[in-house]
Amino acid sequence: MSDALREEVENWLQRHWDSDNLRAVDTEIYDEKRWLSEVVDAGYATPTWSKAWFGRELSQREARVIEKTFQKHRAPGWGKDRFSLGAITLYKMGSEALKAELLRELLIGPICCLLYSEPGAGSDLAGIRTRAVKDGDEFIINGQKVWTSNAQEAEYGMLLTRTDFDVPKHQGITFFIFPMKQEGVEVRPINQITRESEFNEVFISNARVSERYIIGDYNKGWKSFQAAIASERLIMGMGVTARSGMSSHSKAPALLRLAHKYDRLKEPALRQEIAQALAYRQLNSLTMQRAVEEIKTNGMSSLMSLGKLSMSRIQHGEARLSGTILGPRVLVNDTEDARHANFDAAKAYMNSIGGGTDQIQRNIIAERILGLPRSNDVDREIPFKEIKTGG
Amino acid sequence: MEAFSVEDRQAMCDTFSRLLQDMADEPKLRQLLITESGFDQSVWGKMSQLGLMGILIGPEHGGVGGSLVEVEALMEHAGAYLYGGPFISTCVIAPTILSACSDESLAEECLRAITEGSAIFSVAGCGSSGAWDLPPEVQAVFVDQSWLLTGTADFVSYAAVANQCLVYANVDGGKGVFLVDMNENGIALTPHNTDDATIRLSSMSLDAVVARQVAGVGEEVMEEALQVALVALAGEQVGAARRIFEITIEYLKTRHQFGQPIGSFQALKHIAADLLIELESASSAAQHAARAIAAGSDDRKLMSCLAGFTCADNYRKITADAIQLHGGIAYTMEHPAHLFWRRAQTGQWLYCSSDTLRDNYLAEMEKML
Ligand SMILES: Cc1cc2nc3c(=O)[nH]c(=O)nc-3n(C[C@H](O)[C@H](O)[C@H](O)COP(=O)(O)OP(=O)(O)OC[C@H]3O[C@@H](n4cnc5c(N)ncnc54)[C@H](O)[C@@H]3O)c2cc1C
Repeated sequence: MSDALREEVENWLQRHWDSDNLRAVDTEIYDEKRWLSEVVDAGYATPTWSKAWFGRELSQREARVIEKTFQKHRAPGWGKDRFSLGAITLYKMGSEALKAELLRELLIGPICCLLYSEPGAGSDLAGIRTRAVKDGDEFIINGQKVWTSNAQEAEYGMLLTRTDFDVPKHQGITFFIFPMKQEGVEVRPINQITRESEFNEVFISNARVSERYIIGDYNKGWKSFQAAIASERLIMGMGVTARSGMSSHSKAPALLRLAHKYDRLKEPALRQEIAQALAYRQLNSLTMQRAVEEIKTNGMSSLMSLGKLSMSRIQHGEARLSGTILGPRVLVNDTEDARHANFDAAKAYMNSIGGGTDQIQRNIIAERILGLPRSNDVDREIPFKEIKTGG
Repeated sequence: MEAFSVEDRQAMCDTFSRLLQDMADEPKLRQLLITESGFDQSVWGKMSQLGLMGILIGPEHGGVGGSLVEVEALMEHAGAYLYGGPFISTCVIAPTILSACSDESLAEECLRAITEGSAIFSVAGCGSSGAWDLPPEVQAVFVDQSWLLTGTADFVSYAAVANQCLVYANVDGGKGVFLVDMNENGIALTPHNTDDATIRLSSMSLDAVVARQVAGVGEEVMEEALQVALVALAGEQVGAARRIFEITIEYLKTRHQFGQPIGSFQALKHIAADLLIELESASSAAQHAARAIAAGSDDRKLMSCLAGFTCADNYRKITADAIQLHGGIAYTMEHPAHLFWRRAQTGQWLYCSSDTLRDNYLAEMEKML
């Protein structure tokens, strides 16, 4: 099966993709929308999805065959069923009408940002206060979001709003797919610890979104949001957000190459630490492989939920060791190695804070996988408007 | 590559697990701990009836022709009961060594005896270092048409109940493996007063002991044997770690303090979540290494080293935290936690230390540079 599939994809790419010039055959420049349309329509962008929605109903394993073949030819567009959060959420939780209206568009281009966190609601996202008020067949949105990655480029945002203040906090939430390019949406970049500014504050005043753009049901947004956040954590657990431990031109992990370059592989104590760091990364990928196999046979796997937390230890550990390997050279950002080490050390917090902190991940693992009792949320059962706030 | 179907493997494991439940549960284990040999012949007999002795031995010698995948799965069940007999030496290491023997009649004789349940093997793979990858401290010389072994081997498991022993020895500037009948003259066993009573280790001194050479077996085969032993042990450690982890999680749900189950305290929850990662990492490593060896993959040494130190260290960590999570109750001999914890310490040194394996893992990785 996988050989036949590989051959089919090879043939298709041969006919459509010019891998020397990295653009579609018979075109002069790379036109992203146009190329992605071709990939989506061929069913290679979301091969695990249903045939009704741009998919081919293939298994994860078969989908990997497609991804690998695309990667070999350096052709973009693969893996949208794993990495394209907005599209995945819509596919899973959106109504048929909403999918018909937006799904293809989301797959072929626009960035979709995540409008969840607010100044007063981070780990406790059910505490959001951005308000959506019904006005005819539209909703009027007012509020402030923060830490919104890629909000400047985004054409859409997945927006978590409060639509009922009189019920307990998880019950009055509505989840929208929200058009960003409109009056009343102001995006202000934030300077990050990494010296990048990917994330932003987003001020929303009297902006509008159609009732058709509710993901899931009115006031039941918490449920559809769960599907979205679960997909996000999965992606982070696979470690695809960070500069990955492997590089394209060498099979050896980056940390090992660094230690070799600076001649630090002769020191027994450091060898122990480096070996353990490499082991953590390899163990996580073995466990994620197991998870994929379990999903294939049982339809689900709790192992998946371990990936993101594991990845925090891996990323922080590798970054710290890179600094150790460099020694005092790490203090001076004149070399690429020092810049990488310092950048990675800061960037590792993206995994351990973003998408739910390590502490929240531990709560989830303990409560949902191990079945330990929930901690007392004092505000869980009372109407939202009576909840005390601070800081 | 994998000789058993998933269902067959599962059925075999279930049968083994029931056997252990019936004949080797904690009360039985505790009785065994105060016996001299630490070995239950009746459990061994039943395991033999089930065909487990020949798990790695081909049908031509009366075995069932399984692979290390089956061994790893069985060992997880053995580990859950802290089973401690000469299974790894007799049914995992000895067949690996003997299958490589170029003297077919010796191989047939020994392998058949294992499958029939009449042979119990010890393997003397190291000296006082405890490390199977260092040179042995036994010398073999050929005098008057026979091989004679002299020297000491240490940390030999279940030597007192074995009737055969495979001894790793220096010979003619190289290394070889020799078969010794435990009734031969010149063998002196000194049982160790091990901190972990669930396993029996002895030092073994040999004074011109008559032996037969396991022809064709040298350093390379011993290295393979070490990998196989490590993965079997890794499986055992995963099973044991899972058991003590389950016991601990159960306790977190039932023990109440301050009017609530102690498992609702985040300080404990977070330790439990971290331990689950250690447990599943160990499980992934052991299973993957077993498959790599069964398939003869190029990375089998890398994977067996990874499984070796990960399972040993994570098992120790899980048992150590399990005691803390239990509080005072686990500071007693009555509670099983210390049995697991002590056994976990054994595993960090048996065959090869975790630190050595970690270093060897890095050395394998360096080959990619
Ligand atoms: C790089 C990056 C990108 C991000 N991108 C986005 C984005 O695109 N969209 C978006 O909506 N958000 C985004 N975030 C926000 C992110 O989801 C939040 O920062 C995160 O959920 C934590 O919320 P907080 O910052 O308000 O911290 P708080 O919730 O205030 O947490 C403060 C501390 O308290 C701990 N804590 C809180 N509650 C508990 C508890 N119940 N048990 C134990 N400890 C607890 C936390 O672990 C943390 O250590 C991003 C964050 C980062 C770092």
